[in-house]
Amino acid sequence: MNAFTDMQDLLQDFLTEGGELLEDVDQKLVELEKNVQDKGLLNTIFRGFHTIKGGAGFLDAPAMVELCHRTENLFDQLRSDKMTLTPEMLDVILAATGEVKRMMGEMSGRTAPQPAPAEMLEALDACLQGKTPPRKKPGSAVASAPVGMPQANPGNGEFDWGRLYHVLTGNTEDAEGKPVLLVAPTAVPSREEAAPVARAPRPVSGGAAGGNVTKDGTMRVDTARFDQILNLSGEIGMTKNRLNCLRTDLVRGVQGGDTLKTLETVLGQLDTLVSDLQSAVMNARMQPVGRVFQKYSRLARDVARTLGKDCELIIEGADTEVDKTILEELNDPLVHLVRNAVDHGLETTADREAAGKPARGTIRLAARQAGDHIIIEITDDGRGMRADVLRQKAVEKGLISIEEANTLDERGSLNLIFLPGFSTKSEISEVSGRGVGMDVVLTNIRRLKGRIDLSSKVGEGSKVTISLPLTLAILPVLMMKQGGQTFAMPLTAVREIISIDRETLQSVSGQPTLVVRGEALPVVQLADLLNRPHTGESLVGVVATTGDRAYVLAVDSFVGQDEVMIKPLEGIKPKGVTGATLSGEGVVVLVLEMHEMLQGRV
Amino acid sequence: MTTEMKFLIVDDFSTMRRIVRNLLKEIGYTNADEAEDGAAALLKLKGGAFDFVVSDINMPNMNGFELLSQIKADAAIKHLPVLMVTAEAKKEDIVMAAQAGAAGYIVKPFTKATLEEKVNKIIEKMKG
Repeated sequence: MNAFTDMQDLLQDFLTEGGELLEDVDQKLVELEKNVQDKGLLNTIFRGFHTIKGGAGFLDAPAMVELCHRTENLFDQLRSDKMTLTPEMLDVILAATGEVKRMMGEMSGRTAPQPAPAEMLEALDACLQGKTPPRKKPGSAVASAPVGMPQANPGNGEFDWGRLYHVLTGNTEDAEGKPVLLVAPTAVPSREEAAPVARAPRPVSGGAAGGNVTKDGTMRVDTARFDQILNLSGEIGMTKNRLNCLRTDLVRGVQGGDTLKTLETVLGQLDTLVSDLQSAVMNARMQPVGRVFQKYSRLARDVARTLGKDCELIIEGADTEVDKTILEELNDPLVHLVRNAVDHGLETTADREAAGKPARGTIRLAARQAGDHIIIEITDDGRGMRADVLRQKAVEKGLISIEEANTLDERGSLNLIFLPGFSTKSEISEVSGRGVGMDVVLTNIRRLKGRIDLSSKVGEGSKVTISLPLTLAILPVLMMKQGGQTFAMPLTAVREIISIDRETLQSVSGQPTLVVRGEALPVVQLADLLNRPHTGESLVGVVATTGDRAYVLAVDSFVGQDEVMIKPLEGIKPKGVTGATLSGEGVVVLVLEMHEMLQGRV
Repeated sequence: MTTEMKFLIVDDFSTMRRIVRNLLKEIGYTNADEAEDGAAALLKLKGGAFDFVVSDINMPNMNGFELLSQIKADAAIKHLPVLMVTAEAKKEDIVMAAQAGAAGYIVKPFTKATLEEKVNKIIEKMKG
């Protein structure tokens, strides 16, 4: 194998491409469970194992070749009708995909994978010979204790979620960057703990989003998109040459109207090209959500099986694209939410039948784009949440007072589940209750500059709606001046800009108010928000919407509109400031976070 | 002249295409293009200027055997030698490949030396 000069690169390629293939196989297996004779599925799964085996053969991974060879043979029999898939077989096969994942984890740690447990290979051989391996109930120690399968720890009947978590999230490293031993029960790590430490700094960072570009620092980019970037950078190079010529002219003293006019034109072209290049690069970072979503089918199935429930995960809008970083940061919250939906949302099969519902519960995971946001909805058709029960629980736990509870409306009550320390079940469940709950989900989504909302109907189910910006890296902003200093605010919040005539300002219960197109809006002075003296200059205002509140932000003057890269402030976090950027003149500009800035106002 | 030969590597798994491309390069054949299945390969081949095809058998859309028979059915490209890549030495596969007009077969995983031997043998036969 030392014939390969770029062995490491090849290995990385194999792990990325093979990993995707394996996730696809996993999802197809879950589909196959419902439709065991589907030729298309059988063929695809066969080819998946076959391809992984082929690659593994070149990469010195005989253990993986051996395991894939058996599963491939099994599917060869199945697809040619020499055998019919039984649930027992499927269990063994699902365990085998978990094992292949484990081996890939070992390979990414630059070690040759350990052989699969002998019991697993024997079970596969038994399947191949038409013998049915004994089906193990969840809760007993299954031969080989395969990774990724809902398996119990022998003895205590407890389920090893830590391991499943690692398998499903692909986090195979612990805080020290050592590969996690996927055998010992581990607590579900929070994002911070799970993030590997040694990480190249992100070139473009979305505020406090932090995190890593990717686990392995690689990304797949569509060739057409890459070529577009190449073309644009070529054109920018040519434009630069023209600017050089113009400079020579100017230096020589050729300063006629033509030279200046050409300079103007060339700068205009450069402007267009640079913004095209920016959006092309942003486009290249966009990834379809389906790549992450597809692995939740297996998660939902496994969780449901442990709990004696039956559920189907329906994925909609798999083609919807979102920035790679956001997609990766979204994984942990979504794992929680899908798991929660199966555990807390869905009733047991018996309860569902008693309630006259279909025995199989449905969880819908849907993504769609809405303007510059992506909306992700997780809907279950389970028992729903009762506002009064949630309020009572929060009071009992001492999270809110009875008075506070009484003021809460339906939506406010549902949102109580985001409070740290809130768990709707009296006993912490092995599946969802791990101490890290909805409050962590909320924190993660907020970090991505997103919002999360809940709705629920008792007896009909619940819906979690997540709204996220498509990208964190480049933000269109409105630049404005206050007291001689420039500030920026995200353009998404801006409805229009107006001039404020002091004469028309009215006072409504002490709050200055302005009527804009028949709508009475509170007027907030940026100077007040920043605790700075009023400058007395002529006032202009931004009509803006933050959350569901509209208001007028009064400032000294406007500078203009710009697309900026926001850098997080290191070490400090002033209230209401999301980060900093540079103005055209090279001056540092603070970017305002109006939601936070307005807390306690308006 | 041989080092100027243009290869087409056909495989749905890009890692595998890269492996084959690297090995060919080490043998001295630096001119290679790739296709991800039989259909894509045919399009490229009809575009012309290829001298040698290395194709996997198991691919979606159009597999290696179908590609082989299509190549042999097209007067413009039927002279092209096709080296079939298979994952294991399955007798029926090898027989089928030979009958369909493959120039040779090679079993995965193979070493640089094996590939070199197979490719050179085919090229010598072509010249002779």
